[in-house]
Amino acid sequence: MQKTLVIQRYNPEQDHKPHPQHFTVPCDDSTSVLDALLYIQQQLDPTLAFRWSCRMAICGSCGVMVNGIPKLGCKTFLRDYKDDITVEALAHFATEKDLISDMSVFLTHLQAVKPYLINHDTRPQPHQQTPKQLAKYAKFSNCINCGLCYSACPQFGLNPAFLGPAALTLAQRYNLDSRDQGKAQRMPQLNGKNGVWGCTFVGFCSDVCPKQLDPAAAVNQGKVASAADFVIGIFKP
Amino acid sequence: MSEPRQVNRAYQSQLRRNWWLKHGYYQRYMLREATVLPLLFFCGCLLTGLYSLQHSEQSWLNWLAFMATPWVIGLNLLTFFASLFHAKTFFELFPRVLPILPAPLMIAGQWLGTLSVALLLALLLGGVL
Repeated sequence: MQKTLVIQRYNPEQDHKPHPQHFTVPCDDSTSVLDALLYIQQQLDPTLAFRWSCRMAICGSCGVMVNGIPKLGCKTFLRDYKDDITVEALAHFATEKDLISDMSVFLTHLQAVKPYLINHDTRPQPHQQTPKQLAKYAKFSNCINCGLCYSACPQFGLNPAFLGPAALTLAQRYNLDSRDQGKAQRMPQLNGKNGVWGCTFVGFCSDVCPKQLDPAAAVNQGKVASAADFVIGIFKP
Repeated sequence: MSEPRQVNRAYQSQLRRNWWLKHGYYQRYMLREATVLPLLFFCGCLLTGLYSLQHSEQSWLNWLAFMATPWVIGLNLLTFFASLFHAKTFFELFPRVLPILPAPLMIAGQWLGTLSVALLLALLLGGVL
């Protein structure tokens, strides 16, 4: 069986804007988009540039737009597409070359919400947690930083300063963690004009998340936390 | 030593105004947001009604006649169904924002609440209570 991939090519040294290029690849039921890209790079055109690493939806490197939808190349199979398949770099990010996006905005937003445990207790002992405490944040803790949710989010597309789904989900994940004491440091970011209130609950981020994190729910739970923080702030001396 | 070659910057595409037409998911989102438009018309009707009521008997009768015209009834029917659609989307999203109880229970509870309030209003305005 053969399929045609229409791939967005962009060479910053030669092109002013991306252009499509057709490649026909052999495939069977187990061929993923990433397999097809590797075939093209190894057999047809060694100049094709794209990111990949684990091939098992863990590293989050191979995010691309497949027929206009953000997908992980390794988790998307050619068998699920009848006609030609269009593969482009992730939307809303700048394209560096071919399918390689500049993720630095995303990384800056991640950094801004301090997505790590902040605990002032420095005694060398484990911070114990009950299964109930774990369940509060566990579903938001599997983010692989693939950036697909940013490509699905029109609010991020319209305003790149918006912290976006993954960063706000991680902020909520750590705020809900019983071992964490950093909520006061994160709330100014969440309350700000580019924080949780920039989300209009389009919800597509949750649909495209390869780890089913439901970032839209996390961001909007962040609105409840932000409103509570505001009310508490009024009564606090 | 040769000069390094001038390299263009990374390509940044811009989101066009018709971004929401490109995917069914975005279109459903815009439909949800657009339910506010017929609701604005209905609110305008209500405010005009209040103004007519305190203005004069004739203006109240004129308002009643206006409300009975087919296109106004049509638009208000559209408002009713648009509000029901918006309520459906809101009730389904709510359990994800405040996950207190199982989602189906919360959705059923919200519909039950809406039905109860509608019934109470119908009974009150219908003169039964």
